[in-house]
Amino acid sequence: MRKKHLLFSFMGCSLFGTIFLFTCALQAKSPEIKPWFHQAVLLKTYQQSYDWRIPWEKRDIRTQTGMAIVVRLPQSSKSKVSESVDSQTLYLLTTAEMVADATLIEATRKGIRKPFQAKLVVMDYAANLALLQIEKAKFWGNLSPVEWAPVKSRTNSDANNIYTLKIKSQDEWDMESGIIDRMAVGHREVSDAWFPLLKLRGVSQSGQGYPLLQDNETVGMILEAGGGEAKAMQAEMLLEFLRHASNEPYRSLAHRGFIWQRLPQGSTADYFQIPSGKPGIWVSRVLPYGTGSDVLIHGDYLTKIGKWTLSHDGKVKHPEWGLSLFDLLFLDQLKVGDSVVLEVIRAGKPIVLKTKVSAYEEDGRTVPLKRVGHSPRYVIQGGFLFQELTLNYLRMWGANWRTRAPMRLRLFLEQNKTVMIDGKNKTSDSYSATKDSTELPPRIVLVTQVIPDPLNIGYQELSNAIVLQVNGRYINRLKDVPDAFLYPQDDFHRIDFLPGAERLSVVLPVAELEKSNRRIKNNFRIPKLQAL
Amino acid sequence: MFRFQQIYLFSFIYFLYAGVICLTVTTIALAAPDHIEKSVFRITNYQQSPDWKSPWKMKPTSRGQGSGFLIHGGWILTNAHVVSDSRMLLVNKISSPKPFLADVAAIAHDSDLALLKVRDPEFYQDLRPLEFGGIPELRSRVRAYGYPMGGHELSRTEGVVSRIEFGTYVHPGIDSHLLVQTDSAINPGNSGGPVTQSGQVIGVAFQSNLRLNDVGYFIPVPLINRFLADIKDGHYAGVPEIGVETSSLVNKYYRQYLRLPENTGGILVERIVPQSSADGIIFTGDVLTKIENLQIDAAGMVRYGEQQVTFYIEAENRQIGDSLTLQVWRKGKFQNLTLILKAPPFGAEMRNSYDKIPEYLIFGGLVFIALNRNYIHSPGNVTPPLAYEHWYREVERPHTRREQTVIIARVLPTPVNSGYANLHNFVVDSLNGKPVRSLAHLDKMLKKMPPEMRQVVFASEWQNMPLVLDYKKSVEQQKSVLERYGILANHNTSPKKNKDLQ
Repeated sequence: MRKKHLLFSFMGCSLFGTIFLFTCALQAKSPEIKPWFHQAVLLKTYQQSYDWRIPWEKRDIRTQTGMAIVVRLPQSSKSKVSESVDSQTLYLLTTAEMVADATLIEATRKGIRKPFQAKLVVMDYAANLALLQIEKAKFWGNLSPVEWAPVKSRTNSDANNIYTLKIKSQDEWDMESGIIDRMAVGHREVSDAWFPLLKLRGVSQSGQGYPLLQDNETVGMILEAGGGEAKAMQAEMLLEFLRHASNEPYRSLAHRGFIWQRLPQGSTADYFQIPSGKPGIWVSRVLPYGTGSDVLIHGDYLTKIGKWTLSHDGKVKHPEWGLSLFDLLFLDQLKVGDSVVLEVIRAGKPIVLKTKVSAYEEDGRTVPLKRVGHSPRYVIQGGFLFQELTLNYLRMWGANWRTRAPMRLRLFLEQNKTVMIDGKNKTSDSYSATKDSTELPPRIVLVTQVIPDPLNIGYQELSNAIVLQVNGRYINRLKDVPDAFLYPQDDFHRIDFLPGAERLSVVLPVAELEKSNRRIKNNFRIPKLQAL
Repeated sequence: MFRFQQIYLFSFIYFLYAGVICLTVTTIALAAPDHIEKSVFRITNYQQSPDWKSPWKMKPTSRGQGSGFLIHGGWILTNAHVVSDSRMLLVNKISSPKPFLADVAAIAHDSDLALLKVRDPEFYQDLRPLEFGGIPELRSRVRAYGYPMGGHELSRTEGVVSRIEFGTYVHPGIDSHLLVQTDSAINPGNSGGPVTQSGQVIGVAFQSNLRLNDVGYFIPVPLINRFLADIKDGHYAGVPEIGVETSSLVNKYYRQYLRLPENTGGILVERIVPQSSADGIIFTGDVLTKIENLQIDAAGMVRYGEQQVTFYIEAENRQIGDSLTLQVWRKGKFQNLTLILKAPPFGAEMRNSYDKIPEYLIFGGLVFIALNRNYIHSPGNVTPPLAYEHWYREVERPHTRREQTVIIARVLPTPVNSGYANLHNFVVDSLNGKPVRSLAHLDKMLKKMPPEMRQVVFASEWQNMPLVLDYKKSVEQQKSVLERYGILANHNTSPKKNKDLQ
């Protein structure tokens, strides 16, 4: 009995000791909070996005709180420097989601009650980064820019733990610890940009724009957090953004210029004349932007990027993070503008392609992904509300828009390759294949609704109808609509829709149109009938 | 405007036996002639439908109950959905525990009607067939007989006729026909029962509306008579369709644009369904102004008794092969046209399928099927490629639709298809560069493949990478795949009816 008692006492002490030592170890490495009073500020934003169903209206105001990190832009000598930014002054770095569609951005320093109004300087919505400026010099007193350092992987670091700030109130700041879960490559629903992201665990109090610390160094910034997990962008990519922010025009971060697939099995490799067992990835689509988009073609078998050999599942041996998806090379090994050699097998023959690392671009889709900061474009003629199909519009069907939005419209977003509109495929695929940068991909123009008016009686049930032609002219983007209305046929304007709409054609009398437009503008309090 | 859109519009309508519960049921026990009650039966259907995801398999047997009634010729008239996918049919008379075995003699899935014959002649003793009446007047009282929820005693409910219009028949899923709306309680099990007025049958109860209180529907006599006339030659041909998609001309400016004479009425033809009755006779831009001398108004309605119903009614009351006269306004002149009515093209895969074993083909562990409505409505299958192929291809690119859309529905993992295990719903456009027209065509192509062929390459315009299998290994492993997954035959490329299996 006594032995048993002693055993329990020993085990209890050991457990307590372990916990104590572990806690001490964590506390011992906890970075000092004080420097952060001079390197980070609190942000409060008031955001009001547009109502894409009623494009002249805005939605309810929402507020967000987060942080911004004080930064200075790196010197850039290569490119034309933007007039709006200055490498000598200080700026605030935060997430794009914090400031997208903001009507007011307020920054608050510890110890100063009064908020300062911030101004958006550069935003990269795809990368979820934004740069802010505050004009009042008083705000910047005693603030200093952070010194960035690269994040270290678990294997190279003495401890897995990272730190971030925990804000209890404007004046009560603290640190909380978490651990690095993994380095991943990911993208958000609202963007098709794939960037390396650090996944963290155990950070329950963190938020957007909070700094990420490791070994008392600033190694990144939290992009989103919740449920004890967080995603952060590493210092290397933040520095790249800051470098690009001072250039005119702004370029996004380095990105691959193709979509790839792994070869499922040997018979597929055999069919594509790829030597047995040769590792690599199959280029299934070349994007209109990004690294390799100028030299690769559909069907290339990419075996090497620079000195890095690709595995069958698109992984390379990263010097810091080990076996990782090759996109991780854009973190620190390949920067925009760097020369890079791609080794491919094309039609059974190995060839070497020389290219330059290039950046992500937004404007490569038939249906643009989420846009912020721009008012929706529209044209109203005779009550017909013309809009381009966008992700913003589809998201008006709510959180379950992927199942609730009309299938016909979702088809264009998800797989639009077979839709014939103007005699050729109206797809981003076909346009990327042309490699003609002057030819922008076409858009899908819809009549999203018919605003009731005596002129359009009989048409008012029409909604989400895809416009083929106006007055016999093909409509490939919204600006084609007002142009086509300049050419009526026999005193009437005729609009033709893609089959699948409630009706396939409507006509509007030229003589009555202006009167109707004025009536609609007044009756429905529409500020202007056209926003291009 | 389109049939498939109507399906969405009317998707709130459910099968009676699928669990409709009417909120207010007013059962009025009214004295009725004995012979009516005696001639209304309870039908029990032991049914088994195929598993469309694993087309060589059948789902567990289930029991459904409905109603039916005796008509002239010793037939029992009921709904098609009451007797679909049947393995055994039992018929019980009122208050009788004795079941009689019955067989389906004719079935019309497009109009949800069926005829049964009871095997034992004793069943017909002391029974009198019910007589048919006509179309009831609006707001007139009607009485529905049946066995709601499968009870043993006959139920009679009363209500009034609230609307007579065209609407979607849920059983086929895509067809719209004339139907009569009543507030008489029509519940699960009422299906197939007669709706009477003054002792005569004026319809067959068939579906309800979950979103509306006290709303039931019955199939009116004209459609029943059409069905009975159709099967006189021992074969059911189906309800014909004109094959045009039209838009209203309610907008006065559109009428001016077309230079239509004042007070002409008429509806604008905006699309001709390829291979339909109208193909080559009616053209896009025509305005249909008269059908069989009935004036078509600007909303496409014609006078039908005391109601206005869509002009399609004139086709629906005819048989395939009958002629139909129309007047159109074309290029500023009236023209008279005659067309020969045909069945709607591509009806088979666009409608819900019953009484058929799915077609499939297994090669190299890849399960090929022909895309149809049953498959696309299985959970998780409304994907953009399948939706496009099933609903949009024909309307956007006329004449590009194949005999069947062949898809690789799933993969049965086996060494030869290693790497493709998670593939599903791959639309097959070609095999080794040659277009695939149908499942039977694919079967033939695979059988004709020369033995020295190295690979089979299935390509799809929806996929950037083709699917490639080693031909020799696929053939070698064919038997072991079937054994491993317990499949008796590697194909069923000529659709068999359920009764062929009995």
